[in-house]
Amino acid sequence: MSLLRGPGQRDARAAIITTLCVALAIALLPAGSYLAYAVVWLGVATAAALSGIAPLALARRGAIALPFVLAALPLLFTRSDEILWNGTVGSASISISGAGLRILLTAAAKAWISVQLAILLVRQHPIESIVGSLRALRLPDALATGAGLTVRYLDLLRGEASRMLRARSARSASPLGTTRERIGGTIPWRARVTGNLAGALFLRAYARAARVEEAANARGATGSLSLGALRERDPHVAAKSGLAVALFALITVAGAVLPRM
Amino acid sequence: MLPLLHIPDGFLAPQVALALWLATALVLGIALRKIGDRNSTAGPQTILMGISGAFIFAAQMFNFPVAAGTSGHLLGGVLAGYLLGPWAGSVVMATVIGIQALLFQDGGLLALGANTFNMGVIGTLGGTFVARGIGATLGGTRLAALIGVGVAAWLSVMAAAGFTTLQLGLSGTTDIRLGLPAMLGTHALIGIGEALISVAALSFVAASAPEILRTHQARDAGTSASPARRLVAAAGVIVTVVLCASLFASASPDGLMKIAHDLGFSLKGSTAPFELFAGYSIPGFEGPIATVVAGLLGVLIVAALLVGLSKIAARRRGE
Repeated sequence: MSLLRGPGQRDARAAIITTLCVALAIALLPAGSYLAYAVVWLGVATAAALSGIAPLALARRGAIALPFVLAALPLLFTRSDEILWNGTVGSASISISGAGLRILLTAAAKAWISVQLAILLVRQHPIESIVGSLRALRLPDALATGAGLTVRYLDLLRGEASRMLRARSARSASPLGTTRERIGGTIPWRARVTGNLAGALFLRAYARAARVEEAANARGATGSLSLGALRERDPHVAAKSGLAVALFALITVAGAVLPRM
Repeated sequence: MLPLLHIPDGFLAPQVALALWLATALVLGIALRKIGDRNSTAGPQTILMGISGAFIFAAQMFNFPVAAGTSGHLLGGVLAGYLLGPWAGSVVMATVIGIQALLFQDGGLLALGANTFNMGVIGTLGGTFVARGIGATLGGTRLAALIGVGVAAWLSVMAAAGFTTLQLGLSGTTDIRLGLPAMLGTHALIGIGEALISVAALSFVAASAPEILRTHQARDAGTSASPARRLVAAAGVIVTVVLCASLFASASPDGLMKIAHDLGFSLKGSTAPFELFAGYSIPGFEGPIATVVAGLLGVLIVAALLVGLSKIAARRRGE
């Protein structure tokens, strides 16, 4: 018996399949295929513009992944092939590798485009629809129900956390730089205050889970909670998935044909 | 200072990403079977897991002021695993990491398998087994449990950082010889924050609502492994990391040896009266295999010591 059914969600299955196909195609593009990356980005930006999302804002948001470029930075100096520059800084001899630079730029470009792709998906489909569609795509029931409950109670618990943070800030231990008052206590004391907040929030979450369970039992729930069930299914999902596979093939071919640096 | 553990798409080779998707799916499948044996999806465990996912999200907002302009925050894997049970905790973390990737683009969609493996499987599942193993080995008291959680929380961050770097190294997007020390060095500090907050949170729950911990421990008692099996499982994970890391060990001298060589006092030091594995190698083995075998033997010796200490602790508890 399905209870706690929400108002129902839009079918995002085709969008999820398309996003995954394009993300995989981007990952498979060879290193240094900058023209292919530009073509794919243009496609993503066009899709965003057609959906009413400003491509510039999307591009700015895509920079969220760029700090991870730090991980690839050592390759610039440790690879010994295709040396672009060689010199000394102080007593150290330093060289910059063209191959390392290519790997760094490739990873940065792929990450930047992939983030924009993910944003495009969630801007077009609310997270509840995506969870419902993932359930329709055979995501295990326990995972889908768990994700549905997480999404449903996310704002509520974040609101509680915000209020607790405000109370902490008013009473003590606010981080330096955000307010002018003196920071309170030692580091272990601050950690204990933060841990107490987390513990208190867990107890509130635990109590809420007990109330949700009581409500479900009172209504006679015995099987799946079916959170985020789809309101209606897209009848053309198979055809759209075929187009997504074709798009994957097109990007792969573009990567093979377009010149590389 | 923020952890660099959510790998975006573009940094992992597709074959590495797909292999980790498969490994994660396998472990999550086992976890779901373990949870599904006990409850339907309308049962209290699933409801608690779902709302706990929202709790982990919200708890990650609690920043922890360290110094001017620097603050850490809770990741929550070991805490979730200890409060909900290791399998349920790993499923909760998988849900959280998935929603983070979708909703906040924190980590890539193709890299989701790797991120879940690092933080949900190794960090949460492995971390919780280590926490419980240490707690049981030290006598099973509340203090022992807190020590276990603290150590495991720190280790979970370090292990996740180590695995992240190894996967990037396998994908050719980082140099492990530089990346591993840098990542582990940064995350050693983040791990201390994680350990302190996890211990304080668990301490708060244990003091305010001890029946919650007792309920979960009683439920898991019938199905979970013994402390010795947990330690063996944890040792298995450590062996894997050591073996993988040793394959990338540098043939160059380490920093201290280089300085000693440059300053001309490298030959003035006296040698140890005996050497077990001189130069991290075993007689009869050559090249990287010698390093791997030496590492393996070292881990086996440590594991044997741990088992011996466990037996002494158990005997003392019996007395």
